[in-house]
Amino acid sequence: MAALPDLSVDIGGLKLKNPVITASGTFGYGTELTPFFDPSLLGAIIVKGLSLRAMPGNPPPRIAETPCGLLNSIGFANIGIEAFIEEKMPLLAKIKAPIITNIYGHTVEEYGEMAKRIEQVEGIGAVEINISCPNVEEGGIAFGTDPDTAAAVTQHVVNNTTKPVIVKLTPNVTDISTIAKAVESAGAQAVSVTNTILGMAVDVTTRRPKLANIVGGLSGPAIKPIALYLVHKVVAAVRIPVIGLGGIMDYRDALEFLLVGARAIQVGTANFVNPKTAIEIVHGLTDFCSREKVSNINQIIGGLKTK
Amino acid sequence: MEFRSALLASHAKPGQFLMVHLGERTKDPLLRRPFSIHGIRDGDKVMILYNVVGAETSLLSALKEHDTISVIGPLGNGFTLPRPSERAVLVGGGVGLAPLFFLAQALQKDHGHTVTVFLGFPTSRQVVRIQQLKDLGVNLSLTTEDGSLGIKGVVTDLLDQRLGNKGTTKPVIYACGPPPMLKKVAEKATAFNLRSYVSLEGYMACGLGICLGCAVKAAHGEGKPYYYVCQDGPVFPSGMIDWEVL
Repeated sequence: MAALPDLSVDIGGLKLKNPVITASGTFGYGTELTPFFDPSLLGAIIVKGLSLRAMPGNPPPRIAETPCGLLNSIGFANIGIEAFIEEKMPLLAKIKAPIITNIYGHTVEEYGEMAKRIEQVEGIGAVEINISCPNVEEGGIAFGTDPDTAAAVTQHVVNNTTKPVIVKLTPNVTDISTIAKAVESAGAQAVSVTNTILGMAVDVTTRRPKLANIVGGLSGPAIKPIALYLVHKVVAAVRIPVIGLGGIMDYRDALEFLLVGARAIQVGTANFVNPKTAIEIVHGLTDFCSREKVSNINQIIGGLKTK
Repeated sequence: MEFRSALLASHAKPGQFLMVHLGERTKDPLLRRPFSIHGIRDGDKVMILYNVVGAETSLLSALKEHDTISVIGPLGNGFTLPRPSERAVLVGGGVGLAPLFFLAQALQKDHGHTVTVFLGFPTSRQVVRIQQLKDLGVNLSLTTEDGSLGIKGVVTDLLDQRLGNKGTTKPVIYACGPPPMLKKVAEKATAFNLRSYVSLEGYMACGLGICLGCAVKAAHGEGKPYYYVCQDGPVFPSGMIDWEVL
């Protein structure tokens, strides 16, 4: 039997055994989906976004389905970083895949404070900075739409941790390359492209928005072409690795992102539909590489033929 | 409809739910839909009850024998059964009958309880599953808003008429239906000082406690702002919920 293809990738010094990562907010605190498969088999796990203190989240309805898409305005409901470290981290010790925490701050200082706290925690492989959450009033997306603020947040986190820092970018800007370059200069080791796209849905009978928050973030297959384009654009703009996400449902979707130049991919909304999606993508990529006689996944990354 | 799954049938408890999808290749509709388990038949057939209201239910109703569907479950907590000495009163509005049928089935057959069922529908045209309920041997009362079948009025009217009586043993109420109906049930339960459980619906993407979509506001003093229907429910003691905002 031929040797299995090498799927391992390097994200700013963080070694992943394969390029498949679960997206923040779609994989709980890491152990909820263990009845479906062993998360240790994934490249990495990004847990539910954390804030310095617990946040209740937005009033319901918080989600609405649109054609091939999911609108959400969860509003960063989370247990807070201390509760995560005390209650959830011990459960994650058994998982043999890097754990990445996604952090969100109301102020630039809060980001730094959280990075400092995470620095002391063994078992956390990297930090993903959320400067792109569309569903909270302050912070979040406000930090992600201005290059100077995005850079300031990034720098604050980089100064407070030795772990690789990934910045999750918002698509809700005129030119995502500008923001990507700004966070790269500020010391980010990777960027995730893209968070949800702002959207709305209306119930014509009640004449009310389908989300209590009126607007929310759109995810799912509906946004995949946009996400691919944004990854393509950011890959051309920066030297740091780009992690691609947006509507990935199967290994073929994952391959599209890898071909465009993403060094790894995240699986988000698909986890809700089929909790085994991420592991099925790992198997699908392995089979694809074997079939296509690709010995190393890096031979696919950025392999888009344009001529 | 019903589908065969011996594993699911043997694990399912009344009040639990399923996340149903036509198949993982379907992108529109994208998400699974939650359905209460309506009952178990012949030991291995699992029933769900639904109105054809959207794309997903239209597709479900177009399924033919031997087709397969993708189901995750049983999920959620299920009903807390009454003590042997207690009477159970089941209150259903429309398709809210779905989980109550399974409860009636379990109480009547397996636990030898006397079960009273109050069901309300807008008109006789929406009335479903009545014969099957009667076959279970429950004590059934029916209302329609236009009086075309059973007693004219809404189902919660029956609570006033039948629960106000003194002298009878205090019943435990189990309710499922539209939020305004459940709110009224919760008010009556408080007024008559009865234990009551409500089965709630919520917009949810996963049913597994991940998406945090299915939030319902917790009653004041519960110590947390929201409960999640999929994880903390779908069955709640009615006192746990903030009915002002549901």
